[in-house]
Amino acid sequence: MTVRTRALDPAVARALSALSAAAKEGLGDPALAELVVIRASQLNRCAFCLDMHLALARRYGVSERQLDLLAAWEEAGDVFDERERAALALTEAVTVLTGGFVPDEVYERAARHFDEARLAHLVGLIVAINNWNRMMVARRIPPGGHTP
Amino acid sequence: MTTHLNETAAARAAERPARLDWAKHAPEVYKAMVRLEIAARQGLDHTLYELVKIRASQINHCAFCIDMHTKDALAAGESVERIVQLSAWDESRHFYTEKEIAALELTEAVTVLTDGFVPDEVYERAARHFEEAELAQLIAAITTINAWNRFGVTCRMVPGHYQPGQYK
Repeated sequence: MTVRTRALDPAVARALSALSAAAKEGLGDPALAELVVIRASQLNRCAFCLDMHLALARRYGVSERQLDLLAAWEEAGDVFDERERAALALTEAVTVLTGGFVPDEVYERAARHFDEARLAHLVGLIVAINNWNRMMVARRIPPGGHTP
Repeated sequence: MTTHLNETAAARAAERPARLDWAKHAPEVYKAMVRLEIAARQGLDHTLYELVKIRASQINHCAFCIDMHTKDALAAGESVERIVQLSAWDESRHFYTEKEIAALELTEAVTVLTDGFVPDEVYERAARHFEEAELAQLIAAITTINAWNRFGVTCRMVPGHYQPGQYK
């Protein structure tokens, strides 16, 4: 498995970084942001993104237990609180759009836990990581090589 | 015929309001998206770009994006036939160039990521039609419309009101 291309226009990279940064800042919860980003990267099977964000999550103090059980968060009992569960359900719905629309119950559950500004940034974060996942998987960028 | 169409319109379902005005609540996020959009379209043929936009929006079921990009494509001179056939392009290949087909295949693979990785044959076919910098822009264009689609669907942006060139 070798990299297909590393070509990426600097203006595209800068805009994408600005998108991620703005979304993360507006969400205001770095640990939750990493859970969201890792879950989307699991669904999209982005090795580069998983490697990078697992390291970041540990730096932000996300527990090993949460990281271990993230792929099965719905069955993980009280390892994730209601706010985290609402964010993860939204992450899955927004990531797997081809399976259907974002269901009302998923959206409304998120809207109960996040005010409109935080929700807009949470959606922005899910969108941003989906964009990075696609960039990395399409170009087959191998894990590693990033500096946290 | 006109009367019939009007009667049908009157019997249509009510328009649903948007869920969230995300651009208002996250203006920095919106600004970054606009920058991304401008950067991603550089160096790509406009006709091809709109086909990619429409096809990804069909797959992701983004009504707002389909409304916008079909109108933009038509305004730019795209044919009704090529737009109508786009959701079945694999069976109507003679409507499109080999380069457009390679781009559409890559669009589908990068959009439906959860079904698997981007297959080598799809990537390689695109790489035969696009030189490296142009291919990077094509990938960026595909990921960017996927981003708009996710905002559109999640926030339930309302289709039907877009005027061609409105955001230009």
